[in-house]
Order: sequence, then C-alpha cells, then structure tokens
Amino acid sequence: MSTTKLTGHAALNRVLASELAADRRALIMGETVRLGGSTRTVLRGLYDRFGPRQVIETPVSENGIFGAALGLALSGYRPIVEIYTADFLLVVANEIMGDIAKWRQQQALPGPLPIVIRGCTGPGMEGALGSEHSQAMEGFFHHEPGLVIVTPGTPRDMAGLLRASLRSPDPVIFLEHRRIYEMTGEVPDDEGFMIELGSAEIVHPGNDVTLVAWSWMRSEAENAVRVLDQEGISVELIDPRTIRPMDHAAIARSVARTGRLLVVEEGTRTGGVAPEVLVRAVESAAKPIRIARVTTPDVILPYSPTLELPLYPNAKTIAEAVRRLVASDRSAAPVAAA
Amino acid sequence: MFLGKNSTEQMGLEELTSAYRLMALSRRFDERMGELNRRGVPVPHYHSGIGQEALMVAAVMPLRRTDQMIYTHRGYGHLLAKGISLREIVLDLFMKAGGTNQGMGGVMHVNRPDLGVPGREGAFGSRFAIAAGLALAAKLDGRDDVAVCFYGEAAGARGILYEALNMAVLWKLPVVYIAEHNGWSVSSRTEWLYPEGSMSRVWRGFEIPVEVVDGNDSETVFTAVSRAVSHARAGNGPSVVEGLTYRIEPHIWKDKAAYQPSEEIELWRARDPLLRAAKRLIEFGAGKDEIQSIENWADAEVERAFAALETAPDATWDDARRQMETQ
Ligand SMILES: Cc1ncc(C[n+]2csc(CCOP(=O)(O)OP(=O)(O)O)c2C)c(N)n1
Repeated sequence: MSTTKLTGHAALNRVLASELAADRRALIMGETVRLGGSTRTVLRGLYDRFGPRQVIETPVSENGIFGAALGLALSGYRPIVEIYTADFLLVVANEIMGDIAKWRQQQALPGPLPIVIRGCTGPGMEGALGSEHSQAMEGFFHHEPGLVIVTPGTPRDMAGLLRASLRSPDPVIFLEHRRIYEMTGEVPDDEGFMIELGSAEIVHPGNDVTLVAWSWMRSEAENAVRVLDQEGISVELIDPRTIRPMDHAAIARSVARTGRLLVVEEGTRTGGVAPEVLVRAVESAAKPIRIARVTTPDVILPYSPTLELPLYPNAKTIAEAVRRLVASDRSAAPVAAA
Repeated sequence: MFLGKNSTEQMGLEELTSAYRLMALSRRFDERMGELNRRGVPVPHYHSGIGQEALMVAAVMPLRRTDQMIYTHRGYGHLLAKGISLREIVLDLFMKAGGTNQGMGGVMHVNRPDLGVPGREGAFGSRFAIAAGLALAAKLDGRDDVAVCFYGEAAGARGILYEALNMAVLWKLPVVYIAEHNGWSVSSRTEWLYPEGSMSRVWRGFEIPVEVVDGNDSETVFTAVSRAVSHARAGNGPSVVEGLTYRIEPHIWKDKAAYQPSEEIELWRARDPLLRAAKRLIEFGAGKDEIQSIENWADAEVERAFAALETAPDATWDDARRQMETQ
C-alpha cells in the first residue's frame, strides 16, 4: 500500500476532500470555514473546490449551528461541524448530549444520524492558549452513552479514524490535538483507508507494564517507553484511539499478562477517562493488579505557559510513574499509586 | 384527512369542517385525560391543550405531508392535524408498545418522519435551530417544502431563537415560527417574561413578516399561517405568527394552578375556539346535526384509542430495538 508523508493538517484535509467528493450530501459547516476554518489549514481549499453548498460558513452561533446540523442529519445530510476550539463544545453541551446523542433512541428512529463534530484541543507546542482553549475535552463528554469520541494520536490515525467517523452511522466527536497537526507521518494513499472505531492499537509490545495513552499523550508515552526499554523495563503501550467505545478488551488482555496498568491522561484528574479505564481493568481482572495514573492535576489551566506546560504529563513523569509501579510490591492488593 | 390540498388562504366549509373534527378530537381526548386525572390516575408528561385547539390545528392544516413540523408539549392537535393517530399518541403517553417510540420517549417524543414529524427536543430551545436545519435541507435539496416550528413562552426566551433567526434570514430559509402565546409558562405570566407580553416583537428587527393573530379563531390562524407558508415556499424566507390564546387547564397533571384566577379562565372559556368554529359552521350552512355527528365521531375515536390501550402491552427494550433496526 503506497503512503505519503503528511502533517496532521494535510492528512485531515485530504480525507475531508475525498469524502466531500464521494458524497455530495456530506457538508462542512462552522465558523470561518470558507477560508480554512479555525486552524486555517485543515479546511484549506475546500470552499473553492466544493462551494457554498458543501462548505457552509456560519455566524458565531454554536447553538444555532448544532441544532441546524441535527435538522440536516434528520433530512439525510451528513453534516461535519467544526467547533472553533473543542472547549467551546460546552456552549453546545445540551445540543450534543441532550439532543443529538439521545435523538434516535428517544424517537426510536431507525437509520443513521451521521454528525461529525470536529474540534482542536490541547496546548499546542507553545502553550499560552488559556484555560478555555486548550483543555482535553474527552473527559467532559465520555459520560454520555449516546456518543462516539475519537482521539487520534498520529497523522495516520487522524486520516483513518476521520474517514471511519465520516462513514459512521453515529454522532461522533472527533478531537484533533494541536501538536498532532504539526506532526508528520506516513499516511496510506488508499481512498478507502479506515481504522475501525473502538479498536485499540498495540503501539509497542511488552511484558512488565501495560501503559495506556491516547492523542498527544501517546507520543509522550512512546518516548518514555524508549527510555524504560534501555533500563530493562518492558512496557506494552496501547493507544485506544477512541474513548467511546473504549477497547477495554484489548487492555484487559494485556493486563492479564503484565498485572500492572498505568493510564496517562492529558485532562485533569478527577472524574476523567483514566479512572474509568482503571476500574474496568480491576473489575475484569482474574487476579489482583496494580494500577496508577498520570494526569494533569485538578487545576484551572493558567494562561502563562511557564506555569501551564509543566502541568501536563510528559515522557519524564510517565517514565517515573512506570518505575514506581514496577518497583511496588507485586503481591499487594490493588492500590492506586500517585 | 385534510392536509392542505386547498391552495387558497381562506377556510371554506370543507376546511372548517376538517378543522372542527380535529379540534373536537383533541378536546375530547383532553377531557378524557382530565377525568382520569381527577380519578387519581397518574398521567406523567401529559399537558392539556384545552382552549388552544384552533392554534394547534388550523396552523398545521396548510401543511403538506412532506412539510416538517416541530410541535410543543402542550396539546395534541398539532400531531393529529399532521396525520398521527390518537391511538399512537395514547400508546406513547402510557409507554405501551405500538405507539411511535416504544417507551423510549413517551408522549414527549412522538414522531412520524414519514408524516413530517421528526420528533422534538426535551430541553426547550433547540427547536429553533433544528427547524432551521430542516428548512436548510429542503432548500439544498431544491424541494419547496417548509418547516414549521411551534414554540411556547419557555423556548421563546432562549437565546437560540436569535441564532436560528439570524441564520434563517441570512440564508432565506423556508421556515415559519409560530408562537403559542397562552398567557402562562408554568406559573409565570407571559407579561412577566416578555416586554409588554409580546412574544414576537423580538423578530421585527429583522424586517420579516410578523403577524399577531387571534389564536382562538381557526379561520384567522389558517389564513395567517397559509400566507406565511406560501411566503416560505416561494423562497422568500422566514416569517412569524404569534397566536394569542389561553391555557385553560393547569400546566401539568400535578399542578393545581391556584395561581390562575377563575374569572380569567371563565373569560377565555367564553372565547372557546370550538364554540366559535361551531358558530361559523352554522353560518356556512352546516346543520346542528352535522356538528353533533362530529362530536359523536370524536367520542368514538377517543373510545377506540383507549380500547387499544386496554389491550396494549407495556413497551419493552425488544420492541424499541426491533423498531430501530428496521430500515
Ligand atoms: C431549557 C428548558 N428549561 C426549562 C424547561 C422546563 N419546562 C418544561 S415546560 C415549561 C414551561 C413551558 O411553558 P410554555 O413554553 O409557555 O408552554 P406552555 O406549557 O404554556 O404551553 C418549562 C419551563 C425545559 N423543558 N427546557
């Protein structure tokens, strides 16, 4: 299969272009989308190519846009809604979780409700975006049973998961990390290339510890794994790639071998995704396992990058947590390490 | 059932007779529910539409089957007029199998996409934008269908009204918003919620057609909404009709509505939309016996719907799954 080296931006742009061309009922809507959208890059050129029927520039009216997207999806369209930054999904929490996620069940409607909600997340390389522009948003939405939440960690996964999201019959929140926009990677050229939603990837096989990380945290975890490898600690790194559905089975299979599970989350600590992953692993394990997590502490992110950037988990803090987990007494009952 | 085959904007004998049938059915059903309620039978999510029948029914009659309609929680005339059977509504209300949503959404989410009733939101407000989206779909498709969105004092005070309206005007969407000004929002008076109690003045800034009408007069409602629908169908964009009416019954089954002055209720009972329609039918030349036979028909329909209820099993997850899996 031929591949091309692409940035995250370009990988997304290529998939959107091919899907808009393949299905004239797919349409992009959102703020500033006519001239490239909030990133200026992901949607570049799409308005010129597909015109105002398929790339609909909207006012800054999130409630209006998301409600209209639901009306369009109910009428057979496939709206792809861009939110300026994923944090602003809180403006439309009710449209997403109250209306879109519940609509088919409450109406007992057969058929698809294909709405893809795309938004950028994370601090970017420099940080300083502030607490209402750079939060990891998956933790806010994973509680809602009616949603699919996708968190790609590489340009390749951005491409494969976006296409799968666009062809999914279900509403999807697709979270694009700013640092992955800038990353480059080999992306398959095949216009059918898709990654199944809900299928984890074993990024690095290992035996001592199972490490779960997604989105940008996957890259930090990969760096940690390399360092730990040299120290003789064998880590199995799993990227679940989607938060809902979460591939708990893949994690359980790995933990059955390693007996230790560390979950890394860019979001803040309390009530996030990590605790859910840990609890499921404990519930399903045949024998006691040791668990730990590395997360951003429970703080409101400061605007100052010198204050902000050290708060996020990184390769060093992840490696340190793995070492502590391995050093801890294997025979002890399950405990949550710091 | 009459669904706006007539392109004129005036009701004739035929249209008014159709309206009267639907209004009588809506009324009989509400009366029957009132009896149940007084007997102490719990009827969660039921909201009586007594007194508001003209606004519900006559505003839906100008629509085609393929026009989209978003209804309010109060009263069932909108649904009946769009062609949904009372039987389905009753089964949904009591969470039985065989309604439209098999216990998944009850009477709050009655829907029949094949009749242009896609469903309804539960946290009021999204409807303004959902209707705009339905209208946008029609426009993108090149269909001349319209979307009609009813709303009450609650939804109309949400900011999303502005967002949807701005888009509807910007894109000239074929959508008609219909305000059900019924004097109350639970225990709050309309005048406590809107400047001078106007639910439609806010729209006037966009210089679109806004009409305030006697919501208890079927003919007036029919004419105003027919005009608004034709305006939308012809590609001229959104418009608004505010119907003035009154909520005769309490907000919901548990509400005793002690806050509602009885003189006020009596005043509005005198403006009963059914009495007025009956009087006009006589003027149009209908006989008293014809009106009586409509009443009898409505009684029988309500009996039939409740008879179906007697034998219908409670909806199960399997019923819902089966329905959701059929394409
Ligand atoms: C966003 C939102 N806020 C509050 C409610 C609770 N609520 C249900 S009915 C109602 C009042 C409805 O009043 P109105 O719109 O005037 O309709 P009416 O009952 O008078 O027909 C309220 C506030 C809701 N459903 N949604």
